[in-house]
This record gives sequence, structure tokens and C-alpha cells, in this order.
Amino acid sequence: MHPRASDFPQSDLPGVIPHEAELTAGVRIEPGRSYGFFTDTTVCIGCKACEVACKEWNNLPADNLGLTGHSFDNTGALSANSWRHVAFIERSGCGGVRDTVEAPFQSGWLMMSDVCKHCHNAPCLEACPTGALFKTEFDTVVVQQDICNGCGYCVPACPFGVVDVSTLDGKAHKCTLCYDRLKGGLEPACAKACPTDSIQFGEFPVLHARAEERVAALHARGVPGAYLYGTPGAPGATGDLGHLNAFFLLTERPEAYNLPAAPTRPANRVAPSLTAGLAAVAGLALAAAFLLGASDRERA
Amino acid sequence: MADYPVVTEGSDGPLPRPDRASGATAPAPGPAWDGPTYYGRAQLKPAPFENGVVGGYIFLAGLSGSSAILGALADATRGTEAGPLVRRARYTALLAPTLGSALLIYDLHTPTRFINMLRVAKATSPMSIGTWILMGFSGCAILTAAAQFAGDRGLAPRVAGPLARFAGWPAALLGAGLSTYTAALLSATSTPLWAAAPRALAVRFGASSVASGAAALALAEPPGPMRRRLETVTAAALAVELAGDASAALTYRRKGVAAATDGPAGWAGKAGAVGLGVVLPLGLYAARRWLDRTGRAPEESRALPVVAGLAVLAGSALLRISVMETGDESAARPDVSFRFSQPGNLPPSG
Repeated sequence: MHPRASDFPQSDLPGVIPHEAELTAGVRIEPGRSYGFFTDTTVCIGCKACEVACKEWNNLPADNLGLTGHSFDNTGALSANSWRHVAFIERSGCGGVRDTVEAPFQSGWLMMSDVCKHCHNAPCLEACPTGALFKTEFDTVVVQQDICNGCGYCVPACPFGVVDVSTLDGKAHKCTLCYDRLKGGLEPACAKACPTDSIQFGEFPVLHARAEERVAALHARGVPGAYLYGTPGAPGATGDLGHLNAFFLLTERPEAYNLPAAPTRPANRVAPSLTAGLAAVAGLALAAAFLLGASDRERA
Repeated sequence: MADYPVVTEGSDGPLPRPDRASGATAPAPGPAWDGPTYYGRAQLKPAPFENGVVGGYIFLAGLSGSSAILGALADATRGTEAGPLVRRARYTALLAPTLGSALLIYDLHTPTRFINMLRVAKATSPMSIGTWILMGFSGCAILTAAAQFAGDRGLAPRVAGPLARFAGWPAALLGAGLSTYTAALLSATSTPLWAAAPRALAVRFGASSVASGAAALALAEPPGPMRRRLETVTAAALAVELAGDASAALTYRRKGVAAATDGPAGWAGKAGAVGLGVVLPLGLYAARRWLDRTGRAPEESRALPVVAGLAVLAGSALLRISVMETGDESAARPDVSFRFSQPGNLPPSG
């Protein structure tokens, strides 16, 4: 327990504890540093407390009041109203029949709490034509709701299918990494609610080191498939995206979790496209100048 | 709609659901991908654009931009001889600033905030680049058309002519950008089909713009050598577009996203944009050339260039709409998006 925790013994607090994240996540939140999530899927139990905490804190509307038939996943996907989404994958033996003997690990269940990756070179931010999307002082990516005009260009820009335009208010929405909470010194709601510390909040370099240790420990304990997704040089951090501030520890190939193996940075395609298009039009304009200026005899 | 039961109690019906947002409707992994998918759900979200509206804008932008280019070139090379052609070109260039801008604002999900597009200028966002190209083009095109109008009405004749010519050149330069930036806008996304062939898509859009501009001006031109020249420009642009079409098709196959072009939208693109919009007019122009050479009377082929011109315009619009539709399909299909995001498709690291 954090030594400062004994300063607040009462259950009914008079106000917000200063730098509360020190007590709950062991990190003091200060502007100018890079914060993110390390989501360790090997300890996720699929309780969806993160989804609930996110909806509660961010006042997000309910959606998907039905059953998908896709295991316990009735959220389906990240959307304008769901900024955390727990994916459930049931790995089973041949022909859909469960193995009677399971490897000593998760019993064939995979669960992952998906979230906006807060990319280092965020494609949604780079695409935004209004400046509504911006990099905060905590190195996270946030949509300013008073600026966004709902052009929707960030939606296809995102390589992870995270950003979504709400049909309720016509603005783009996604995880803010609880920008308001970070400003107040609190860790994001999902990380605070996570009962198994599958979602860990902290400074990116610290989380990265912790995650590397965790991978090594898992390898030593007989889970050779464990790897990081979104850390520098790893899958998910490809194609000039830089690292993902919200990265994951996975034990199955990325596609099983609905993640792309090698996403790319869309902004890198602007220059090749513009150059090729302008060259084609310039060439045709030159040809047109000759053709339009040609004498009648030549053209007859 | 979603492919599973929805609770619809209450008068308002269900709230928007993630499935509608993500467009996940095709559960089975398709032929492009033999690995796992997440219950066949979409991995990407298709662009929330209205394809008819935005595709229509892209068509009008190309038509206007190319009209400005051809008008300036005709004015420079032919002078007063091409007066009516130049006038029509300058008025056609008004399509993007007026109807085109209206379509763009209509497609915003919060249209009252359209002015926020002018808050920033960003080189990484083709939509921002395009906003400023459209702004500059609109100013120059409106000035050119206004000067043309004034000159035609005999108002300030000594100023109007030079002013129209003077404003026509920046309009032509920005018109080149207006004809092509829309391809960069689509390519600078994560939608597999748009991202797969950025160069080929830009060549297709640019050449199709020039073809549509030349075809529209040729349609309005009375029969004669000037019209023949415009039709030759159209044919040249169509040839370049055909090369772009072929290059794009090869790249789609190489990068494994060609499966997204096998649906109805893809076939509309192949038959409509390439067949009707490129191959048919090229064939008609070639046939007319053959008729001329064999000495038939020109009256016999009067309908032929009209049909060809209309086919070019229809094909140019269909190209944009089908590219947008097939792009959405490629984003909604996890087999295509997973195949496209394999490490083998990464650009060479620099």
C-alpha cells in the first residue's frame, strides 16, 4: 500500500485526494510525460468492469441491448458510445469440440479489453481537417467536442477501427484516456476499476519495461506464445505509426483479437498520391496545350 | 441491420448499435484470408460518407478543375478564336465552388460547423489541403467568371478581359490540385482498397477529371475543328485513365484486396467506369476516325461524339462512386482488411 493511503482512512472523502493516481496506480500524473495503458490479456477475466466504469464516468449512452451470439461479447466493437470493449475468444479443440485436457493456462479462453491505442503518430489526428483531434499534454489523443464538425474523415483513417461518428450528436467520439481525470490527478476509470490489473495505467516507458518483464516471466512459466502488441518494433507498431501508447500483451495472433498485424500510417500516402496525380494532370495539360494549339490541317 | 435479435421495446426503438457503426454484416471470412477473424466482424470502420454525395463532389471538383485548366490553355493558345469555348469553360469551373461546396457541407454530420474546416491548415490531412485548394480555386474561378460575365455584358471591357485571363491561371493551377487531391484524400486512410494503390488511384482520378472536363466542353462545342481537338484531348486522357485502371487492378491483386472489387459495386466500377466511361468512348472515337478515313459523310456520325461525351461524363461520376463503395466494402470485410494489413504489404522501411 502507498504510504499516503493511511492519510485518508475515512470512506466518505471530503473531496478528491490530491494525486490520487499515486495511491491507485503508483504514478503521479504530470503534464509533459507520456501516459498510456498496458493491457495484459493473460489476466483478463472478462468481467467488463472497464466497460461499465468507462460508460459511467464518461456518461456514454447505452447501446447494443441484444445478444450477439458471439460468446460473452455483447458489445461487439468499439464505437462512439463504447470506448472499452472486451473481446471473448473461445479456443477449442477439433471440430468445435472442447478439449478434455487443457494447457495449464486460461482453459482455452482469451479475453482482451480493447481500447483506443493513442498512437504516437495518430492517423485520426493527422487526418482531422478542423484540428478537433489533438495531442494532449499527457501524450494522448482526444477529440474536442466543441470543434468537431462530424466530417467523419478520422473514421476510415484509424487503422484499428476505433473512432466512430455518433448518430446521436454528429460528432466523432473515442476514448480520451480520461483526459479530465488525468487533469485532476486520477487514473483512468477503466484502469481503476479493473479487478485483476489486466489494465494498467502509467507512464509509457515504465509500462513498457513492466510488460517486457511480464513477457519474460510468461515465457519462463510455459507460455511461449506471449508477446507484446504495439510497443516499438512489435506487431501493431509498424508502418511508421510509432508505438501505441495503449499496448497489449497477447498470446494468439493479432487477427484473433480483431487487431491488424501490420497497420500503416496513412499520412505517408499523401505525397506519393498527390505527386502521381499532379504529374498525370500536368502531362495531360501539356498534351492539351499542344492539341488545342495545333493548326487545323494537322487535326483534320 | 444487425444479423442478431434486437430488443425493440419502447417507442424509440433501439439506440444506434456498434454493428451499424462498424458495418459488420458479412460473417464468413472471405476468399482473401484463411486466418482467424473475430466472429467475421469488421476490423475497420467504413467511412461514414454518403457515397453518392461525396462521389458527386469528387466528380464536380474534377470537372471544374479541368475546365479551368482547359479554358486557360485554350485562351492562351487560340485567343479570341476560342472565345465561346473559354466562356463555357470559365462558367463550368463554377460547379465546384457552388454545387460542390454545398454537397460537401451537406455530407458533414454537423453541417453548421462547416466553417471549422478553415481553423487549421495541415499537410498530413488531404481534407485540409483540399479545403484550401477549394477555397483558392473558388476565389479565382468566381473572379474569372465574373470578369467574363462583365466583359460579355460590355461592362469595363478594358479591365474584364485581362482580369479574366489573369485570374484564370491560378484557377488552372489550383484546378490541377482540385482534380487530384480527392484521390489523396481516399488513399490517406486505412481503408484497404483506397490505401492499396495511392499512385494508380490518383492517376485514375486526375485523368478522369481531364477527360470529363474536355468531354463536357466538347459536348457544348459546335461541330468543327475545335470540337475535334477537345475530343482528342478526351481520348488522350481516357488512354491515361485506362493505364491507371490496369495498374490499379494489378496492384489490388498483388496486395490481396482484389476480392473487394468482386461485389456489385466493384462490377459497377468495372462495367460502368471502365467499360462505359473509358473503353466505349475510346472505341467510338476510333470508329469515327475510321469512318472519316473511309470517306463517309460526317453527318452520319453526328450522334456518335455526343454518345461518347455523355459516356465519359457518366463513367467519370461512376468511377468515383464505385471506388467509394468498393472501399467501404473492403473496410467492412475482415478477410480483405486482414489480408491487406499483413507484414508483406508494408512499405519498404526508410
